[in-house]
Amino acid sequence: MIVAEQKPLDEISRMIASYERVLILGCGTCMTVCDAGGEREVSFLHNALRVAQSKIGNGIHIFWEYTLKRQCDPEFLELIVERVAEVDAVLSLGCGIGVQAVAERFPELPSLPGVNTSFMGMTRETGVWDERCAACGDCRLEDTAGICPITRCIKGILNGPCAGTKNGKCEANKDMDCAWLLVYERLEKLAQLERMRRYYPPRNFRTIPRPRRIISKTSVDPGEEYG
Amino acid sequence: MDSLLTDIRQNYPANRTQRFLADHSLVPTCQTACPLHMEIREYVDLVAQGKIVESLQVIRSGNPFPSICAYVCTHPCEDACRRDQVDKPVAIRALKRFALEFGGDRLIQAEAETSHIEKVAIVGSGPAGLACAYYLRKFGYPVTIFEAHSELGGMLRVGIPQYRLPREVIDTEVQRLTRMGVEIRTNTPVVSLDLLFDIGYKAIFITIGAHQSLRMRIDGEESPGVIDGATFLREINLGLRPSPGERCAVIGGGNVAFDAARTALRLGAREVRILYRRSRVEMPAGPEEVEQALEEGVEIVFLVAPIKIKREKGRLSVTCIRMELGDPDAGGRCQPVPIEGSEFNEEFDTLITAIGQAPQTPGGFGVRLGRGSTIQVEPGTLATNRPGVFAGGDAVTGPATVVEALAAGRLAASRIDDYLQHRYPLVVKETRESLTGDLLPETVEMVRRIGRVEPPILASEERSKDFEPVELVYDWETATNEARRCLRCGTGAEILSQDRCATCLTCLRICPYHVPYLDAGSTVQIPIDQCQACGTCVAECPAKVIVLRKPHDRRRVTEELEHILKTAAGSKLKPLIVGFCCQYGLFGTGTLASLWRGARAGVWIVPVLCVATVEAEHLLRALEIGAEGVFVAGCGDGCARENTASWIRQRVEKVRKILVQIGLQPERLQTFVSGTLSEDPAQGMDNFIEQVGGLYLASVMMQEVKS
Repeated sequence: MIVAEQKPLDEISRMIASYERVLILGCGTCMTVCDAGGEREVSFLHNALRVAQSKIGNGIHIFWEYTLKRQCDPEFLELIVERVAEVDAVLSLGCGIGVQAVAERFPELPSLPGVNTSFMGMTRETGVWDERCAACGDCRLEDTAGICPITRCIKGILNGPCAGTKNGKCEANKDMDCAWLLVYERLEKLAQLERMRRYYPPRNFRTIPRPRRIISKTSVDPGEEYG
Repeated sequence: MDSLLTDIRQNYPANRTQRFLADHSLVPTCQTACPLHMEIREYVDLVAQGKIVESLQVIRSGNPFPSICAYVCTHPCEDACRRDQVDKPVAIRALKRFALEFGGDRLIQAEAETSHIEKVAIVGSGPAGLACAYYLRKFGYPVTIFEAHSELGGMLRVGIPQYRLPREVIDTEVQRLTRMGVEIRTNTPVVSLDLLFDIGYKAIFITIGAHQSLRMRIDGEESPGVIDGATFLREINLGLRPSPGERCAVIGGGNVAFDAARTALRLGAREVRILYRRSRVEMPAGPEEVEQALEEGVEIVFLVAPIKIKREKGRLSVTCIRMELGDPDAGGRCQPVPIEGSEFNEEFDTLITAIGQAPQTPGGFGVRLGRGSTIQVEPGTLATNRPGVFAGGDAVTGPATVVEALAAGRLAASRIDDYLQHRYPLVVKETRESLTGDLLPETVEMVRRIGRVEPPILASEERSKDFEPVELVYDWETATNEARRCLRCGTGAEILSQDRCATCLTCLRICPYHVPYLDAGSTVQIPIDQCQACGTCVAECPAKVIVLRKPHDRRRVTEELEHILKTAAGSKLKPLIVGFCCQYGLFGTGTLASLWRGARAGVWIVPVLCVATVEAEHLLRALEIGAEGVFVAGCGDGCARENTASWIRQRVEKVRKILVQIGLQPERLQTFVSGTLSEDPAQGMDNFIEQVGGLYLASVMMQEVKS
């Protein structure tokens, strides 16, 4: 899941300052789960902006709110075409993808980001999320006992642990577990310690051509069909 | 100001709005168990909120004679109460009595207009007859009640002793019926139904009760000094004062036996002994009645039955035999078996038999009789074999309870209405589902234990002297606290539409009762039979898809805030302070209840089901509509739920952070949780109001300076 956090209110206020009619657009998938831009957060932000307006009186806006199931699919965006026709800007509480999808679908309209998209992660407990994947496109979790050194080691080293590990913690952050120690302990449990002995050559990050595209449908040559 | 009023929210599809407005609560077990299907959960909840008059309205709408039920109902609702699985059932009957006494039931007038010409005769004026008359009058029929005795009430009058049901209560209800225009003919035994048809009645309801005591069929039963329970009670209740002598025996274990025993005690018997042929477990009398009788000094001897009575020298020599319990019969009760050679003799002055009663239907009625000389009827329509003749109450069921008779009377009234209007019987179907199932042990463990408080009763030495009512009524505080014990079964949270649920599992993680679960299809389910309706998940759900099942609970806060906006926010005399307070406890009915609805200038209270249901948006909305300060006040240790305050503290903190960003002082938002307050809550509130007043003044001055 993509994890994000809502931007501070004053940043959002500055962003929308020049637009009178603003649609606050929530996203019903990842942003809902990570408490950044679901229906509740949309409504909360809406209320907060209205309080700012009525108490401090800076700027007169008219807000609408709507939460789509997902902003990253163009079909969902069709649902708000009529609404968007009446507004001066869309404040998207979707992740960075959502903001861009809105911008792409409605080219004539400013699409403003309401959240800071942070990472891909998992839930630790209610209201706490941890980063787990860097989307490097070359997964080696098989060799590292299901623990990703790219995201969980602060240095992202592929052959650890480094000399900076002390009492199982990282030298960069005393509260953070050393990812490579975790890898070692888990490999020991799995009786696969020999994987530690292997040497992983340095990754060539230049091989990732951005932006990436994945095509899962298979192209079929129409001429090859059997009658 | 205009922009404040238009609070445009998400535009939902029409079907969602409809679902949002509908009542999705389930019928609780107490309501299902009640023969009258009274809305018990609703009126108990209103008592808990201290809304006694509203509570009385709900009670009156479901029961023609609630004052009678408040004294003598056998409360099947309490037997079905799910609170019993936690500690003890809610004292529903006593709460009804409280609502009637404190809500001013005596002042309520019933009215009816005649809109039909078909006259209906009601034979017998017991609870079934009175209820039937009440409803037929409401439907607009001219009704006549024929009563053989000199006063109305049937068993209520001649069977139930005064110390359990004061006669003023029956008199008040009868007067109400008279005012509604019911014609009453006392001292008029009906012997023939043909005559009634001849003089113009179009339909007849027979409710003659079961006044004929069953006989023991033993030697000497006819001796002077032996009397049956029904006759004994009837004589006393119609004003006679028979003397039971010094030593008195009562045969039987039902309510009549206990009524007779306690009455004999009040008439001056020094020693009253109940002889029952089975053991305590099988005894059909209500447990309170047994308890009170024992306190008053009635002695109960189990597993004993009389076999012979002989009158000698003005006293009765009763030969008894001891019993042992044999195999259970078809009804599940163990059959008593006499023990050979265990006979013994006892001397008594009086012997009262109370082993059961049966109806005595005059042959002239021409209705078909069934088992135990009860009148045979069609169960759904109460129609007898004669057209236009209906029957109900004890005459049909054999001796039963007041509330069952009232239900029969109500059913008869609507069926007689159908009959007279030549309608196919209309069956009103309950559209809501009934709640079934027990609480899971995990849920029970998390529900806070609060002991049941019984209403006060007269001291046993006081009450055995005369016929004053034994049970007293709750005081205000005890009643509201007792009513708060209700678990509000069937009103809990639901996921309004699964397709909007993001399956984030927040509800599952935060539920204090561990109720929501993930089913095999990866869908979150909130089982309604376990949900305790605290509303924590409703306020936390990031998709805002969880709602409470009762529409009133859902819309309450928004509506109250709109109300404040329209009435209070316009006045600028005092800074407006909005408080979200638990509708129960300290702020609902306790010492701070005086703050209710602007009673104190500037302070407006929004009552909430539980502070855990107050959403962060609500706090902001209150500020937006013009509040200078907002507080949330919960009950802390006095709360019926565990640890709800921590959730509202988190939300308050979240809003405070936003306030700082907006440029407002975070002190404008306060949480009060009683029990954790070191000072008097009223004092804490005063300080807060003063502080907000200061902030308001400062902000006004800043505005002046700016301009």
